[in-house]
Amino acid sequence: MSINTLRLAGALFGAVALYSAPAVAEDLVLGASVQLTGPVANTGRYYKDAYEFTIDKINEAGGVKVGDKQYKLALKLYDNQSDVNLSVRQYTQLITQDKVNLLLGPFASNFALADSAISEKYQVPMVQGGGASDQIFSRNFKYIFGTLAPASNYFGSTIAMMKELDPAPKSVALLYADDSFDVSVAKGTRPLLTDAGFTIALDERYTSNASDFNSLLSQVKNANVDAVLMAGHETEILNFVRQAKSLSVAPKLYSFTVGVPSEDFRKALGKDADYAYGMSAWLPSTDLKDRWFGDAAAFAEAYKAKYGYAPDYHAASGAADVEALAKAVEAAGTIDPKAVRDAIAKLNFDSLYGTVAFGENGQINLAQTVVQIQDGNLAAVYGGKGFIEKPKYPMPTWDAR
Amino acid sequence: MDLLAQVFVNGILLGGLYAIMALGLALVWGVLNIVNLAHGAFIMLGAYLSWYLFKYLGIDPFLGLPITAIVMFGAGYAVQRGMLNLIVRAPMFNTLLVTFGLEVVLTYLAQLAFSADFRTINPSYAGSNIAIGPVVVPIVRLAAFGVAIVLAVIMWLFLLRTRLGRAIRATAQNLVAARLYGVEPRHLYATTFGIGIGLAGVAGGLYGTVSQINPYIGATLTAKCFAIAIIGGLENPLGVIVGGLVLGIIESLAILYIGATFGDVASFGVLVLVLIVRPSGLLGRTA
Amino acid sequence: MNSAIRIAIALLAVVVLAALPWFGSDVIVQFGISTLLLAVLAQGWNIIGGYTGYPSFGNSTFFGLGAYGVAVAMVQWNMPFWVGMVFGAAMAVCFAILLGLPVLRLKGHYFAIATLALAQVVAAIVSNIPLFGQNIGLVLPPLNNDAMFYELSLALLLMATLTVWWLTRSRFGFGLIAIRENEEGAAVMGVNTTLYKVMAFALSGLFSSLAGGIQAYWITFLDPASAFDISLNVKMIIMAVFGGPGTVLGPIVGAVVLSAVSEVLSSEVTNAAGLFFGIVVVAAVVLMPRGLADIVHHFRKSGWRYFVQNIRAHRI
Repeated sequence: MSINTLRLAGALFGAVALYSAPAVAEDLVLGASVQLTGPVANTGRYYKDAYEFTIDKINEAGGVKVGDKQYKLALKLYDNQSDVNLSVRQYTQLITQDKVNLLLGPFASNFALADSAISEKYQVPMVQGGGASDQIFSRNFKYIFGTLAPASNYFGSTIAMMKELDPAPKSVALLYADDSFDVSVAKGTRPLLTDAGFTIALDERYTSNASDFNSLLSQVKNANVDAVLMAGHETEILNFVRQAKSLSVAPKLYSFTVGVPSEDFRKALGKDADYAYGMSAWLPSTDLKDRWFGDAAAFAEAYKAKYGYAPDYHAASGAADVEALAKAVEAAGTIDPKAVRDAIAKLNFDSLYGTVAFGENGQINLAQTVVQIQDGNLAAVYGGKGFIEKPKYPMPTWDAR
Repeated sequence: MDLLAQVFVNGILLGGLYAIMALGLALVWGVLNIVNLAHGAFIMLGAYLSWYLFKYLGIDPFLGLPITAIVMFGAGYAVQRGMLNLIVRAPMFNTLLVTFGLEVVLTYLAQLAFSADFRTINPSYAGSNIAIGPVVVPIVRLAAFGVAIVLAVIMWLFLLRTRLGRAIRATAQNLVAARLYGVEPRHLYATTFGIGIGLAGVAGGLYGTVSQINPYIGATLTAKCFAIAIIGGLENPLGVIVGGLVLGIIESLAILYIGATFGDVASFGVLVLVLIVRPSGLLGRTA
Repeated sequence: MNSAIRIAIALLAVVVLAALPWFGSDVIVQFGISTLLLAVLAQGWNIIGGYTGYPSFGNSTFFGLGAYGVAVAMVQWNMPFWVGMVFGAAMAVCFAILLGLPVLRLKGHYFAIATLALAQVVAAIVSNIPLFGQNIGLVLPPLNNDAMFYELSLALLLMATLTVWWLTRSRFGFGLIAIRENEEGAAVMGVNTTLYKVMAFALSGLFSSLAGGIQAYWITFLDPASAFDISLNVKMIIMAVFGGPGTVLGPIVGAVVLSAVSEVLSSEVTNAAGLFFGIVVVAAVVLMPRGLADIVHHFRKSGWRYFVQNIRAHRI
């Protein structure tokens, strides 16, 4: 308290120089600014929890070995209050004032897009698991790496599945929010749809954070489409599903970019969540072996025990970011940011999240598994090798449920 | 043609929901000359209250509305008495700043208390509808529309016919005249603000049954409420209904004909236009 | 104090501030840039809100237009930074004149709400224009030269402050104050109130837009939500009000003090910073509605009772 008061007083009189960097000798400090408050806090917390969880686990196992020195990982985390400008300032502060060694990312593409300029400017690598927009990786930046599958291919596996469904859907409505990530999704989805022989009967961009979808739903109903593919935010998708029910809009299939894999979504909608399709580049399977957690299933179990909710792919992606940095530091044999950057680019290891290896542009490439909510549970229905569990198709009308 | 009819009905029902959100804001603004930037935050709190009543006590969201209204009335009374009464005579934009600060604080506390999880009030009939020819009418929205009309009429009669209502209206004209009614102004101010917040609570309960609730829904709702209150005018609760309908219909049609990213352009564009051409609202007396 | 000493002190302060990038750390320079830009915004608001008495809640519109001027010129047209500054300023001034004419006829709350709505309309329109990057935003080329941004911001604040200082001793400025105190009276006295108000609005918009241009190039990313941020309006107003609206130095003092507080809060108690900001706003308005400048005059006389007196004066 007294220190805070002192700092406050110091700052008040212009002597901001009172700040002191918390330098601990044998710590390798990872810096991040994520959304703990504000409209995106719901997903932002996955990253905070995943970062802390993974760092603790790695430290339990003795930390990371760099050359012949043993480092403990530490996390310096700020809350950017869901404000892009503040997050840019906080990343600058992390690098210049807190002198963190390496960076972890924020959630959401628009944040990653802005913050990657800072990691580039100061040449400190950032591994982020929250931004998938192709825009982030098309700028030839060398210090930004992403562990979310590319936005443009989010619907790839869904469309492959749609071709094999019986009776196959023919006309599709593509709805997407007007932010960076969702526009990237739409841009990538359009050619996939036309190449696969589907007709795009409705192609609508809508305002991010919209809460009323009645007009759009009426258009969907009027166009009488078989399938609806929607790229948006979880709040919008919740509203969309609820309002679809109240207007009796039931296409044969609808699929959403976010929400479906997260527990919160199923809780909020209850039975109405059934039949919704989504995708996840990660499922808590025992096949995904991991050096620190054993495997993905063990990770998911321990995570849920600690935080009280099941991790989704955002959390797994955040955990993979920490592991990627730890691996890279060990491989580089130094904590020099530039050397670590080169080591990250060469990474190729198996983790709870899958194989982590970055392409030329810095982005991972993972296949999306199609998931569906069946009787309140999440079921994996379609992957690279065809159907996994039988999809419930076509979706019955709302009054026939 | 079917599509147009459906979208038109959507617009009307959306308008009802909008109107009920703005009723309280318009009352507080019109009578107390306080522009309450925290109005949306109170709607959010009302929605959470209804959610808790429904989830843990099993109280139907519509039957729970009176409880929500009374609790929120108390909260509003306390806020006015303990805080806003202190700055009633300060320069006008100070009230804007204070209520903005209040909005920030309430939103933050809501996240602490309720977490950023998304909630929905989902009674069994939440998704039901009735079909009239080709047009589908969601029951909950229809009911919300009915509640809006009933409350507006009650408010109208209350302000016109009851002693307290007349005292409140007199306050809007002149603080000194209000004393003639023998009501203590501090109490009167707090009562009026309490009624406004009680109405916000009701709106929140209804909002939760058609949409999702999270701590951050307030700010956008406040902005919408402004548009409605100004379009409808501040003098008459029935004007607010008109404002809500106008906004709901314009937004729905703009989304249909121009595109789904033009809803806000249309609604705020109409707001600015009305402000410039007819600042006292469509139904208000000409300035 | 005689005026020669005052000028000497002012010059010394400017020189010290200008030299800051050479002895301050990166963080301080960055803190300096954002504080200076906020001070420019507060000073810009001071012209229309503090001196003219029209509390605009839409100055972020100008800030956003200025920012987009730079972003569009640099990203879409590959033009240099200064072209963008001119373009942004031109957009903001045209906007202020065109919309100022109808909007400045409104009084009190109606004016405040109209300006607030304007910012929303412009944000909604911009998010539909491909040239402006729609709602995705524009990414500017990064420039690693904080000293330059700092000096530019300082020069801009100096310009804005000198303009406000000139207001206190020019016919134009007296005209604005007359409008604030009594608009009908001012008109009777022969002040062309419409012209004066629009000029003040445009001047306010000019400085805000230039601040936006610098901010855009400095942050290197721009989208409608951050460009036309409503809370930015509240920030600039609360800074001006905190320091003392209608005074030359008040807005600067307000900006420095409140920025320092919020900077310390957001790094020390990171996820409660928003809450404290809200509380500071409420407390400042309730306890000292006339700003720090007023405290300096009255605190010596009445001590802590000053705050109680403030409440007494405004409550019912």
